[in-house]
Amino acid sequence: MSVLGGGGAPSGRGGSQDGGLRDGGPPGGGAGPDAPAQRRYTPDFVTDLFRNPLDPGYAEAARRRAERGEPSRRSRLSARVARTVVLVLAGGLLAVAYHQTVASTPESDQIQSSLVGDVRSRQAETDAMQKQADELRDQVSKLRDDALGDGDSGALQTLEAMTGVIKVRGDGAVVRLTDAPPQIDPVSGQQTENLGKVQDRDLQSVCNELWRDGAEAIAINGERLTATSTVRTAGETILVDFRPITSPYQVVAIGPDDLQKRFDGSSTGELFRELATDYHMQVSVKSQNDLTVAAAADPQLHYAKPLTSATASTPSTAANRTSGSPDPSPSGGR
Amino acid sequence: MFAVLALIAGVALGVVFEPSVPLALQPYLPIAVVAALDAVFGGIRAKLEGIFDDKQFVISFVSNVLVAALIVYLGDQLGVGSQLSTGVVVVLGVRIFGNVAGIRRRLFRA
Repeated sequence: MSVLGGGGAPSGRGGSQDGGLRDGGPPGGGAGPDAPAQRRYTPDFVTDLFRNPLDPGYAEAARRRAERGEPSRRSRLSARVARTVVLVLAGGLLAVAYHQTVASTPESDQIQSSLVGDVRSRQAETDAMQKQADELRDQVSKLRDDALGDGDSGALQTLEAMTGVIKVRGDGAVVRLTDAPPQIDPVSGQQTENLGKVQDRDLQSVCNELWRDGAEAIAINGERLTATSTVRTAGETILVDFRPITSPYQVVAIGPDDLQKRFDGSSTGELFRELATDYHMQVSVKSQNDLTVAAAADPQLHYAKPLTSATASTPSTAANRTSGSPDPSPSGGR
Repeated sequence: MFAVLALIAGVALGVVFEPSVPLALQPYLPIAVVAALDAVFGGIRAKLEGIFDDKQFVISFVSNVLVAALIVYLGDQLGVGSQLSTGVVVVLGVRIFGNVAGIRRRLFRA
């Protein structure tokens, strides 16, 4: 970019500053002092910067040296010491800056990766424990089936299926709700309030409608609903049994064959069609065969205590089953 | 040659001692590095052109670093720190490129 001599005739800044330092000073610089009659345009700062990147001081110092001769030996020595110190400083600065940039990134990275590791190991732990719990539950149910008579175990399984303690499968319907895409105001370009966002109320009314239409097992995004399940909002997220779920919401229900028709014919179905047309919420209701609904988390009793714990070891009777239906065995109760 | 050795010694010292920079000075470190690089390349070019001067080099280094840091500090106080540091980097970068081009021309005649 910097021009060698040729185009640089206007030497600017009174000529004294950059007169002699143009890249070894080709004779072009001579035009400066003897052309006062000509109209001269001083180069602006940026042009000057591009043309003469070298500090003008060097040229001036060289000229001064040429005028006054070499400085004394002592001052040369001190100048050399100063130069060395500055060079050492510059090198140190480079090293420190490098160290700082390299050292500061791993620090945050380290923390993050250790957190990620923590999360992973905890997840693995939970998975392992979940697996163990499943195995133990299988064992328990097998042992119980052995201990119970045929009729009793069948009745117990039905009860379990109804209460959501075990996985169930069957035909039914799937209701899918998706948040409307964010609306952007065409004038201001800002996001307007999204009225088509799925709320906890929407999910609640879908579930209630499905129950009313005869659904026997419902799961929202894989979370099985039981008698004590909650669907509510915390901040921006919807929680089902305190577990956060996000859009798209998939409500899987097992029920009668005409579940979808019943849902569509209900006032709730009507409401959601309106939501879809007016607020662009995406709603789909489909009939589907062979659905699987997962088991809910084990119900935990914090306050209530089963009355029949003393009789848990005795082989079951009809009375025992009815009064102790939440399975009072200590192994299952955690 | 001696100068290169001094520079390397500085780097070695920095690596060995790993001095920790106070938190308040950390934002100025990158700018200081660019300013120091400008002074160093200016010095190299002056050396190659035979007009190197110790005093000029020392003063340009110190003032470059201080002024660059001062400008960034002022910018931070005024709320335009990032813009001003961009400006400093552009100006110093142009100078570094120009000086390196001069060095290149000296060394390779190209």
